[in-house]
Amino acid sequence: MSKVKQPVDPEISPEKLARLAEMLGLEIPPETLAGLSQQLGAIEALEQAKFQAHPPILKMDADWHD
Amino acid sequence: MIDSCELTNLSISEAAGALRRGETTSVALTQATLARMELTEPTLQAYATAPAELAMAAADRADRHLAAGRDSGPLQGIPIAVKDNCYSKGIVTEVGSKVLAGFVPSFDATVLRKLYAAGAVLIGKTRCHEFSCGGSEPPTRGPWDLSRFPGGSSIGSGVALAARSAFGAIGTDTGGSVRIPASINNLVGMKATYGRVSAYGVLPLAWSLDHVGPMTRTVLDNALMLGAIAGHDPNDANSARVDVPDYSAGIDGGVRGARIGIERDYFLYPGVTDEVREAIEAVIAALASLGAEIVSVSLPELTNTRETQMTIRMVESASYHRRQIQEKGHLYTPGTRTTLEMGQVILATQYLDALRARERFRAAMQALFKREKLEALISPTISVPAPLLSDVWKPRADMDNGETPTDGFVHQVYPANLSGQPALSAPGGFTQAGLPIGYQLMGRPFDEATLYRIAYTYEQAQDWHERQPPLVYD
Repeated sequence: MSKVKQPVDPEISPEKLARLAEMLGLEIPPETLAGLSQQLGAIEALEQAKFQAHPPILKMDADWHD
Repeated sequence: MIDSCELTNLSISEAAGALRRGETTSVALTQATLARMELTEPTLQAYATAPAELAMAAADRADRHLAAGRDSGPLQGIPIAVKDNCYSKGIVTEVGSKVLAGFVPSFDATVLRKLYAAGAVLIGKTRCHEFSCGGSEPPTRGPWDLSRFPGGSSIGSGVALAARSAFGAIGTDTGGSVRIPASINNLVGMKATYGRVSAYGVLPLAWSLDHVGPMTRTVLDNALMLGAIAGHDPNDANSARVDVPDYSAGIDGGVRGARIGIERDYFLYPGVTDEVREAIEAVIAALASLGAEIVSVSLPELTNTRETQMTIRMVESASYHRRQIQEKGHLYTPGTRTTLEMGQVILATQYLDALRARERFRAAMQALFKREKLEALISPTISVPAPLLSDVWKPRADMDNGETPTDGFVHQVYPANLSGQPALSAPGGFTQAGLPIGYQLMGRPFDEATLYRIAYTYEQAQDWHERQPPLVYD
């Protein structure tokens, strides 16, 4: 479910995002960055579940039946 | 002849029939629609721009062409509204933002060009949230309840249709923006397959998630509109080279034997209110009684589709707006600016991870359809009825995990933006307080026709779509 909290990887901690935002000259509220950190953590969790086999290509396939 | 008040209640297909039987004219339809606008717009404010003289000239032209035997199809002479993120040559296009104040495009979006080619009358450009994202609040109000959220970001398109100040409308859907206002306003909204409708000339929100789609009051009308606007466009690199069928042919073929999946763990999660849950179960039961085969399915890969969609959307919209924010940042509403800037702190590797997560999800969805031989998946369009305007972003009192009504919207609609598969919302009931409830059908790529056939069959068996909003603006 969407609202399940994911563990935050230090790579995407709110503090790290805040430093990045500051370097880029962006004024983004800390609570917003905390939400973003959570969001990226959720995708990181998927990576741990292995989706290495899936290249980043969106390809529509008209035949979804054999 | 049909009187003015009755005219605006006609569906597109009914109006098209009346035009050809000589019972009305496009000029009369357009005048009646403009009169309706005069009545409703002071309160509802669905339109950003309504060029009445251009509309009347187009209506006159449509009448003359019909009289001369030049019939362009069912949209000829029909007043249609278009979301204000679609470029319109010679007509102001501001996309709800001061950044584009007074901007007049030099060309038409392909979707508008196709509507013109079909003989439609552009009745006006409808309001949307600033740059089609949620950081601003347009003045538009909903005819079902002025105090409640009327949907977004195609907010004006939904309201205009519900208020009978348009016969059909164009919306765009990056994260549910056709389907959410369709559900809230008791309408039919189709997010067709990614690439099915050209996005050329539509101001992007996120290139790989953006879809253009029709909004109407009936399923048949929606099929007629999609038929007019779909098709390959060499100007849009993402446009699909897939033939466009006649979506109205076979729409009355019934649902006997159609396999429709329901993934209850995800789509009927605890955030779905009791009234919405009961309405969706009733739609499922009705489809079963009409001959459909309902199949309970499981798709664990739906988990985290929200975060995946948001990451992709944030990065792509940050890319589009970055330079413009540097130059005109002060003209953005602060909330919109923050939303559009956030993607800049997402690393390229994280964006690629999100794209790979999307592909993993799409492949799992495809495998599910194949394995279960599904023709559609069904769900609520949104988990909650229209919330009070003041509550849209607030944690719900009936949930203990901080979930907001907005969370309940995106939970249902984001998956189909990610997968690119077609998804339709149609009227599926009402709350006790009289608020519309929509159901969603998701289908196989380029198989919009099946979704129309299922929704049409259900529509014929009940009368939800015939209910009109209270005339609070009379």
